[in-house]
Amino acid sequence: MIDTLILLFGLTGLLMSIKSRIKTIINILSLQGVILFLIILFSHKASLSLSYLFLIFETLIIKALFIPSLLNKILLKNSVDRETEPYIPNFYSLVISSFILFSGITISNYYAPFSVNMTPLFFGVSFSAILTSLFFITTKKKLLTHVIGFAMLENGIFLFSLAIADEMPLIVNLGVLLDVFIAVFILGLLIGKINTVFHDTSSCTLCNLKDCGCDD
Amino acid sequence: MTDIILILPVIFSIILFLMKSRTLNNLLVILYSVIFLLAAIFLYFNPNSSGSVFNNYFKVDSLNILFLLILAVVFAGVALYNHSFVKSLNLVVSQHKKYSIGIILFIFSMTGAILSNHLGLSWVFIEATTLASAYLIYLPNTKQSLEAVWKYVFICSIGISLAFVGIILLLIASEQVNSLFFDELYINAGKIIPFWLKLSFIFILTGFGTKVGLAPVHSWLPDAHSEAPSPVSALLSATLLNSAFLVLLRYYKLMDLSGLSGFANTLLTIMGIMSISITAIFVFNSNNYKRMLAYSSIENMGIAAIGITLGPVGIYAAMLQLFAHSLIKSSFFLTAGNILTLFETKKINKISGLLKKDRLTGWLWIACFVGISGLPPSPLFLSKFLLLKELFSNNQIVFASVFLLLLLIILFGIGRSVITMTFSEAEEANRQTESGYLYKFMYIPQAVFLTGAAIVGIYTPSFIYNLLNNAVIGCQ
Repeated sequence: MIDTLILLFGLTGLLMSIKSRIKTIINILSLQGVILFLIILFSHKASLSLSYLFLIFETLIIKALFIPSLLNKILLKNSVDRETEPYIPNFYSLVISSFILFSGITISNYYAPFSVNMTPLFFGVSFSAILTSLFFITTKKKLLTHVIGFAMLENGIFLFSLAIADEMPLIVNLGVLLDVFIAVFILGLLIGKINTVFHDTSSCTLCNLKDCGCDD
Repeated sequence: MTDIILILPVIFSIILFLMKSRTLNNLLVILYSVIFLLAAIFLYFNPNSSGSVFNNYFKVDSLNILFLLILAVVFAGVALYNHSFVKSLNLVVSQHKKYSIGIILFIFSMTGAILSNHLGLSWVFIEATTLASAYLIYLPNTKQSLEAVWKYVFICSIGISLAFVGIILLLIASEQVNSLFFDELYINAGKIIPFWLKLSFIFILTGFGTKVGLAPVHSWLPDAHSEAPSPVSALLSATLLNSAFLVLLRYYKLMDLSGLSGFANTLLTIMGIMSISITAIFVFNSNNYKRMLAYSSIENMGIAAIGITLGPVGIYAAMLQLFAHSLIKSSFFLTAGNILTLFETKKINKISGLLKKDRLTGWLWIACFVGISGLPPSPLFLSKFLLLKELFSNNQIVFASVFLLLLLIILFGIGRSVITMTFSEAEEANRQTESGYLYKFMYIPQAVFLTGAAIVGIYTPSFIYNLLNNAVIGCQ
């Protein structure tokens, strides 16, 4: 069951790389949160500890509901263009993301000395999710999609950290601090400073600061 | 004593948050800097008195006391400068309040990162430095500063996330140890699985390397340093980079103890030489003097990264490099603040006749240049000389030549800009403009730092020598 869920998580990453509507991508982000919740539900030995409840809260409330709803709010507020505006065609993104996922699983199957908690599938999927999200960030133009990419990266890291959840629950909880960054980005976009100053929320307006011998 | 320097800033920020007074803002920042300096000196003489409520989590050892003292000294100077500098900014009270709270929390988070004996905690504090300094960089409230702060927070947050992956990988590697305390990790270094540790080091190096400003993950640094107000630039360059470097140093020790220093050395050398190359390319072409200084910070961090790969002498050189760079670069940025106040532009080609416009600032600018390029009596001369000596004695002659050539290009690049800014004739337009007023505390910190650095360069006092030497021992 867990393996199926993990695979499903890997597939959501692929789905994100081909969808061109931002709204759909935010929905998939929310789906990732639900999958993470299910993984925790099935993998945890049924003891109702505080950190277990915290993980449920983190995945179900924060990751699956709160962050996506705020992102949607930003999307509505900046009702300019609802497309992701990638630098490269979606098809190539899919090919590259699939390659990352495929090689992640196969390489980890052959090479790494795995322990009990860390199965090759677990490692391969979460690791490739991290790489795919970095790829997602670099190939998209809009600031909002960068923030979505960062949320994806964080989901990947969260899945990865579940491998050591039993020995070091502290670390999984520390990972939640990364949400603070998302909060900062969302605040930045929501308060509208970035929108008003940059006119539209795309990163191509982020190019005033550069190195240049010229007079600008 | 560690309790005081960790709890005090929190209390001070709460007071500032509740009160609305300009005098109180100035007073508390300076008071904190003075108490911090005294506490750091006390901890240097009584390192064992650090037992506190936080017991194992925060500790003073022979390595981090050096970084703590650098932070304390630089902060004291910057706080003094800042007191006069804010007058020229014309901030409203609420902005001034946020700015002061930002500075106090920024110093607090760096202190935490330096004193922490736990990798997870260091990570949290390094993340906190990003959040605390974000507002400080944004303070000028311009389109450029907003862009700089967005890039800064975004790039650093990705870096921090990757460092987090590194920490998870370390936990997988050290399954039998199951601890993130550096002491325990060092003792059990033999039990760590090398494959995971190597993978973890890559992530840690990329993650914390982003904060250190090592190329190719340095791209936030020139933007943030050039857009931030000058005292903040000085703090970013002279203390923030060091705090992140300390975490890398501690991790490097773990790699060394696990017998993987060769792997770590290769990566550090690559990033180090890339940092120096990138500086050589961009400094040559830069028309913004604050960006130029920011690139120079990247260079210096690169040199320090190469230094730690070269054994004890190299590590000594790296420590001296970090120490001297902090003093000189903070003076350089503070003097850049004077120039910005005088000319109201960051463009190199719009500034001429600095010596005629303000003699003291002009000479400080030249002195900073002599210091940062490693011309004697700068201590950077010693550190670079030691590094080259080590490279030659290791028979890395080609590498040493490339290193030397790049340093020469950087020296030329910075020198050209500094000389045209200071010695050229003042243009008519420049002479007539009303210049901003410079208070006397906008010269004193730089003068003191540079004199201190020169003394260390000519004759290293025994306590500095011991400080550096103990740090080298702490690294191994």
